Amino acid sequence: MANKIISVSHLNLFYGKQQALKDINIDIYDKEVLALIGPSGCGKSTFLRSLNRMNDLIDDCRIEGSILFDGKEVLDKKTDVNILRKRIGMVFQRPNPFPNSIYDNIAFAPRLFGIKKKDQLNAIVEKSLRRASIYEEVKDRLKTPALALSGGQQQRLCIARALSAEPEVLLMDEPTSALDPISTAKIEELIAELKKEIPIIIVTHNMQQATRVADKTAFFLMGEMVEAGSTESLFATPKDKRTLNYITGRFG
Amino acid sequence: MLNEVSFRRRRGVYYSFRGGAYLGMGLSLLALIGLVVYILAKGLPYLSWDLLFGEYTAKSVSLVPSFVGTLYLILISLGIAAPIGIFAAVFLSEYAVSTSKVVGVIRVAIETLSGIPSIVYGLFGYLLFVFYLGCGYSLLGGGITLALMVLPTIIRGVEESLHSVPKALREASFALGAGKSSTTFKIVLPCAAPGILTSLILSIGRVLSESAVLLVTIGMVVNKTPATPLSPGTSLALDIYYFSSYGYREEAAATAVVLLLLVLFLDGMALLVTKLLSKGKGYGK
Repeated sequence: MANKIISVSHLNLFYGKQQALKDINIDIYDKEVLALIGPSGCGKSTFLRSLNRMNDLIDDCRIEGSILFDGKEVLDKKTDVNILRKRIGMVFQRPNPFPNSIYDNIAFAPRLFGIKKKDQLNAIVEKSLRRASIYEEVKDRLKTPALALSGGQQQRLCIARALSAEPEVLLMDEPTSALDPISTAKIEELIAELKKEIPIIIVTHNMQQATRVADKTAFFLMGEMVEAGSTESLFATPKDKRTLNYITGRFG
Repeated sequence: MLNEVSFRRRRGVYYSFRGGAYLGMGLSLLALIGLVVYILAKGLPYLSWDLLFGEYTAKSVSLVPSFVGTLYLILISLGIAAPIGIFAAVFLSEYAVSTSKVVGVIRVAIETLSGIPSIVYGLFGYLLFVFYLGCGYSLLGGGITLALMVLPTIIRGVEESLHSVPKALREASFALGAGKSSTTFKIVLPCAAPGILTSLILSIGRVLSESAVLLVTIGMVVNKTPATPLSPGTSLALDIYYFSSYGYREEAAATAVVLLLLVLFLDGMALLVTKLLSKGKGYGK
């Protein structure tokens, strides 16, 4: 049995008066990929964003329950969100590199945490780019603008940027929805590679993607987590009628 | 109803709207070009070395005092208004809770400030610096009053450029563990730099062309080059007013040319700066 990294219990989340997440309970284990699936607006991204407290940025968002990460309460007011977000990295739906050079994109987080020595930074940049399997493509133009890269390369750059902070968990919010099939395939290979080191939680609209990359899958519907379990059994023998309807394409 | 008559009518409506748009555009362009051509035609023949850089005498007036005065005014007003304006805009755009009542009041206040006629600013500056503080007429007083006047414009301009920085960049920065201030100063402000510089350059244009405020605060001393910012002085716009009311018609026209060219130059600079700084920063368009 692998280590339990994150343990979510009785999580409720409200935007103003509207409840976006209803009593979510799930454990996330080391070196596993967990896919979150469900129709638009079902709360899967919201759930993802509560793990690294990105929902703090939304003014009237209220959250109850407990998220234990490494034995400590994430939702505690005393938790340092900056350190939390360094430890739980995130990749977004659309590639969002900073409008400066490839090198500066990756060096941003290490610099933030006080690494100033050139050779140390160089080593981190190279290692992060290698882990995101984009190093060979960009090694000769690290000083060129990141926005000159193609969409798929930009997304891998963003993954490298997230890895530069040496996160212990990686969150991915529909990382391939803006990409073409070939770039998508590259990112899925990358996920398979990365899960050897850290757990990955990925939100996806694409059920085939969930079956390809995920060890476990959780199905969200209208703020509820209807069902969660191993990807194989969830798709082969769903326990809940709603899951069956969704994965067979009757709605969503 | 899809018969030929309805098509003909729609075509008529379409062409008349298009014609109206072209007409409006043409008329405004004509007015602008007419004005520029008129000013150039009236003023260019009288533009001389003596006027621009000569010594000021009653026979041959010179713009040197107003060049120095205008430069002081730009430095003082932007030196004060730019940092305050940028920080105020950062507060409003990055730190303030948009639903808060205080912020609402601040916004209304800024809107109101930008709608106040400039002569009212001028009177305020006159009463404060010349009258209560007893500094007399001075470039410093005028510059500070101008700073007050351009502050709302700068705040709004900078805020708009901050808003145009995609939310996705802020999120990326936060998600890497950056706090509010690192995100604001390392990511958001550099991204907004072209827009911020443009709005600063455009407010230099406003300082250049302002006359009402200066009329009552800096004393309109056209014949002496100001020694320090505390001396009274003049500006290009004031010179035009002075020359035309005291019988130097031709010099007034020539000064208008100088002012016009400066403003055109600044606008060109603003365009150029935006273009140069935005290179490689085009975001997700």
